[in-house]
Amino acid sequence: MEIQFGLIDFLLVAPAVALFVMSCVPLLIKVMRGNQEQNTMATLVYAYTGVFAAMGFCLPTIGATRTAFEGALVFDGVSAFATIVILFCTAVALTFARDSQSTNPKQFTETVFLMMNAAVGMLTMVWANDLIIVFVGLELFSLCLYMMIAMSLEEKVSKEAAFKYFILGSFASALMLYGISFIYGTVGSTYLPELLSSTQNLLATNRLFLLGFVLLIVGLLFKAAVFPFHAWAPDVYQGAPTPLTAFMATGVKAATLAFFLRLVASQAFTVERFWPFVDVMQWMIVLTILIGNVGAFRQRSLKRMLAYSSIAHSGYVMIGMIAAGIGGASMLGATGVMFYIVSYAIMTIGAFGVLHMLEPRPDSDLTVEDLRGLAARKPWLALALTVLLLSLTGIPPTVGFFGKFFLFSAAVKQGLIWLAVWGVIGSIISVYYYLRPVVAMYMEEPVIAPAQVNMRPLSYFAVSFLALLVLVFGIASEPLYQVVLASVAKVF
Amino acid sequence: MLLSLLIFLPVLFALIVAMLPEKVIRPASLLMSLLHFALSLVLFYRFNPSSAGLQLIEKTPWLPTFGVNYFVGIDGISFWLVILSTFLTPLVVLGSWTAITEKIRSFHICLFLLSSAMIGTFLALDAILFYAFFEASLIPMYFMVGVWGGARRLYATMKFFIYTMAGSLFMLVAIIALIFMTQEQLGTMSASIPDFYKLQIPFVAGDLLNTQTILFFAFALAFAIKVPMFPVHTWLPDAHVEAPTPGSVILAAVMLKMGTYGFLRFVLPIFPLAAEYWAWLFMLLGVIGIIYGALVAMVQPDIKKLVAYSSVSHMGYVMLGIFALNIYGVTGGLYQMLNHGISTGALFLLVGMLYERTHSRQIADYGGLAKVAPIYTIAFIIVTFSSIAVPLTNGFIGEFLILLGGFEANKIFGGFAVLGVILGAVYMLWAVKRIFFGAPGKLVGGGGDTGHGGHGVHAGHGHGHAAHGSHDDHSGLDLEIGAREMFVLAPLVILIFWMGLFPSDFLNWSKASLDHLVQNRTNYQLNVEE
Repeated sequence: MEIQFGLIDFLLVAPAVALFVMSCVPLLIKVMRGNQEQNTMATLVYAYTGVFAAMGFCLPTIGATRTAFEGALVFDGVSAFATIVILFCTAVALTFARDSQSTNPKQFTETVFLMMNAAVGMLTMVWANDLIIVFVGLELFSLCLYMMIAMSLEEKVSKEAAFKYFILGSFASALMLYGISFIYGTVGSTYLPELLSSTQNLLATNRLFLLGFVLLIVGLLFKAAVFPFHAWAPDVYQGAPTPLTAFMATGVKAATLAFFLRLVASQAFTVERFWPFVDVMQWMIVLTILIGNVGAFRQRSLKRMLAYSSIAHSGYVMIGMIAAGIGGASMLGATGVMFYIVSYAIMTIGAFGVLHMLEPRPDSDLTVEDLRGLAARKPWLALALTVLLLSLTGIPPTVGFFGKFFLFSAAVKQGLIWLAVWGVIGSIISVYYYLRPVVAMYMEEPVIAPAQVNMRPLSYFAVSFLALLVLVFGIASEPLYQVVLASVAKVF
Repeated sequence: MLLSLLIFLPVLFALIVAMLPEKVIRPASLLMSLLHFALSLVLFYRFNPSSAGLQLIEKTPWLPTFGVNYFVGIDGISFWLVILSTFLTPLVVLGSWTAITEKIRSFHICLFLLSSAMIGTFLALDAILFYAFFEASLIPMYFMVGVWGGARRLYATMKFFIYTMAGSLFMLVAIIALIFMTQEQLGTMSASIPDFYKLQIPFVAGDLLNTQTILFFAFALAFAIKVPMFPVHTWLPDAHVEAPTPGSVILAAVMLKMGTYGFLRFVLPIFPLAAEYWAWLFMLLGVIGIIYGALVAMVQPDIKKLVAYSSVSHMGYVMLGIFALNIYGVTGGLYQMLNHGISTGALFLLVGMLYERTHSRQIADYGGLAKVAPIYTIAFIIVTFSSIAVPLTNGFIGEFLILLGGFEANKIFGGFAVLGVILGAVYMLWAVKRIFFGAPGKLVGGGGDTGHGGHGVHAGHGHGHAAHGSHDDHSGLDLEIGAREMFVLAPLVILIFWMGLFPSDFLNWSKASLDHLVQNRTNYQLNVEE
C-alpha cells in the first residue's frame, strides 16, 4: 500500500509538531551551553510559545471533521475539544512546575521537555483513529510521566510512586495490547472507523472480539482509575511532585475519556451480548464512587485526599459514559462527560495548584492542620481554594454543580436513577472532606508557626484565574454547554 | 426589575462592605440594610393582593437546553417571607453591634450574601434556580456558625451543612426527573415551577414505589430536614447553640422557613395525591415534634438550647397546619411561620443580650433578674407570651388557626397538639420564673442595692468578670439593656401586638393565594401575570 500525505496533513498535526519543536529548543540550548541550565523563565517562555502556538494551530481545525495520514488521525469535535483542554492543562502545569519546590532547578529543562511530550502523547491519543496509534500515544505520555515522577527532588516516595506506576501501567498497557491483538486477529484491521461500524455485529457474533474489546476497555479504565483498577492512583498522586499530579489527574483523564467516548459512539453498549459487562461496569462505578469518597474521607494528607476524590470523580464521569453508551450513544450522556472533563480539569488542577504553593519543601506532605489560619494570612489564596473545593463538592453556582447536574440528568434520562442516587450519596460523603480544609483555613488557629507560602506570581495568577473560571462557567454554563454539544454532535 | 434588585442588591452591599474602612462598616451596613428593607416595602404598592397568580415576573433564559430560566416572581405565599427577611437584616446588624467583635468585615459580607440567597430562594420560580439559592444560602451560614460560633462550632457547622446538603441532593435528582417529565408531557423541557404544576404524575394509593410517592419523598426529605421536622431535627439544637446571636436569629427566623415554604411551593401542589395520602405521616411527625420539642425544652439548663428546642416544637405546629390541608391549617401555618420568625428571633436576640453581659446561658445562674433589669424583663415576658400563644399576641392567632385546622383534619392529632400548647406554656413560664423571679442568682448579684450602684460604672467590665466564673462578686454587672437594644426589640414587640390584634392586616395579602392553593389543590395552576 502506498501511503500518501501532503501539506494539509502536516497542518492538522501542527499542534503536536509545535509542542515537540518548542520542547526541544530549551534542551538544545542547554546542550550547547555545556549542560548549563539557563534561566527557568526563559525555558518557560519557550514552552509557553509551544503550547500557545499549538492552541493557535488547533483553532482553525474546529468545526470540520478531517482525517490525516490516510485516516490514521481524525480531527473532529471531540478531538479538537480535548486538545484545547489538554493544552490548557499543560500550560497551567508548566507554570506550577516552574514555581514548585519539588522541581529540581537543575533539571527544569528536562521536566519541560517531558511534560510537553507527554502532552504530544495525549494529543496523539485523542486524535487517534487507529488502535495502534492509540497505543503509541498512550505509551508516549505514560513513559514521560514515569520519568517525571522519578525526577522529583523528594527522594523516597516519588521513586516508589514512579516504580509502582511503571509496573502497573505496563501491566495495563500489556492487557490493552493483548486486547488489540484479539481485535486485529478477528477483524484483520486496527482502523477504528472500520471496527466501530462493525462493532455491534462483531460483538454479537464473535467471542474473541468481545474479549479483545473488554480488554481494551480495561486498559482505559486503568488509566481513568476506575475500581478495581484504581489502587495505583493514591500512591502515585501522593508521591509525584504536585504540579505533575495536577497534570496527570487532568490531562491523562481528558485523553483517556475522550478516546473512551469514541468507543462508546460505536453503540457497543447496546449489543445484548455486551450487557453483562455493562452491568458489571455499573457496579464498578458504584464501588469507584464509594471507595473514592470513603477513602478520601479517611485521609489526613491533602494530596492523598484529592487523589481519592479524583477516583470518585472518575466514578461520576463514568455514570455519564454509561448513560451515553446504553442510550444508543445519547447526546446527553456524551455532552455530560465532555462538560465534566472540562469542569473537573479546571477545579482539580486549581486545587493541586494551591497545594503546591503551600508546600515549603520538596518532601512536604500537607495535612489539613497545615492549612489552619490560612484565611488570615493569605485571604485571596484561601478564597480561591474555597471556591475550588466548593466546586468539587458540587455546590451552585460553580461549574462543578452543573457538571454533576448534566451527568445526573443523563443518568435519569436513561433510567439509571440508581446510579444517580449513588452519585448523590457519594457527593454527600464528599461534603465532609472537601469542607474540612475550609474549616481549617477559616475557623481554626495555627498551633505551630505556619510555613512560608510560596507566592510566586505566575502560579498565584493561574489559581486565581482558575477559581474565577469556576464561577464564570458556573453562572454562565450555557455557552460552554453549547460548545461541548457542538463538539460532540459530529461524533455521535 | 424590582425583584431582581431585591435579590442582588445585597450582593452589591457585600462588595461595598469589602471595600469600606473598618470603622464605618457597622453604620454603613445598617444604612444599607435599611435601604434594602425600604425597597422591599415598595412591594406593598406593586403587589396586587386580590390575585392568586404570580406577579412581578422576570424571566430570562439561563440554561435553555434544559429549559432552565432565570425566573422570579412573587405571590401571596412568598410575599411576607421576603418582607420578613429584609425586615430582620437591619435588626440583626444592630443587634450584633457589640456581639461580633472579630472579623467585622467578613461577618457583614456573610450577612448580606445570606440575605441575597434567602430572598432568592423565596422568589425563584425555576426549580434549578431555587435549588441554586437554596444551596448557596448554606455557605454564608456555614461560615457564620463556624467562624463566630461557640466552643463546639466546628462540629455544629459541619453537621448543619451535611444534613441539609444530604436532603437537597436527593431533591436535585427529583427535580431532574420532573424536568424530563415536562419534556414528555408538555413537549418542551422546562424547569419552571408553574410548568411542574401542569404535570400529571402517576400515583397508586397504597403502593410505596410509584413515581409520585418517590418524588414526593425526595422533595419532602429535603424540606423536612430544613424545617426541621422530627426525627431529622438533630442538627438544629447544635447549630443554634453554637451559632452567634445573629446567626441564630437568621437561622430560626428565615432559614427554617425555606423548608416550610418548600412544602407550600413544591410538595403540596406538585404531588397533591401523594401529599394527601401521606398527610397523616407528616401530621403525626409534626405532633411528635410539638410534644417532643416541648418536653426536651423543659429540661434544658441552657436558655439558648431551650429556645432551640422550642423552635422544633413550633415548627411542628407549622407542619401540622400545612398538612391539615384545609384553609385554616394552611393559613395558620403561614402565619405561624411569621410568628415564629418574630418571636424566636426576638428570644435569640434577648438571650444574646444577656449572654454578652454575663457570658453564661445557664438558667441556674440567674434569678431575680426582674429587679435589676425591668425593661429587659418586660420585653422578655412579652416575647414569651407571643411564643406560648397568649391571646392578643400574634402567636395566639397562628396556633389557634392551626389547631382549628388540625381538629378538622384529625381529632386525635388536634388533641395532642393542644397538649403541646399546655406544655409550651409550662416550659416557657417555668424558665421565666427561674430567670426573672425568686432569689437572685449568682450572676445577678445579692441585695437590692445592686441595680443602682452598678449602673454605668462597671458596665465595661463584663468580660473581666465572666472570665473568672467563680468570682462571687457580680453586683457590678449592669444587666439592663441600653437604648440600642431597645431599638432592636421595639419593632419586634410592636409587631407581636399588631399581628395579634389585627391579623387581617397581614393575612389579606396572602389570602387569595392560600385560598387558591387549598381549593385547587389537586389541580393547582398558577397564572403567570406579565
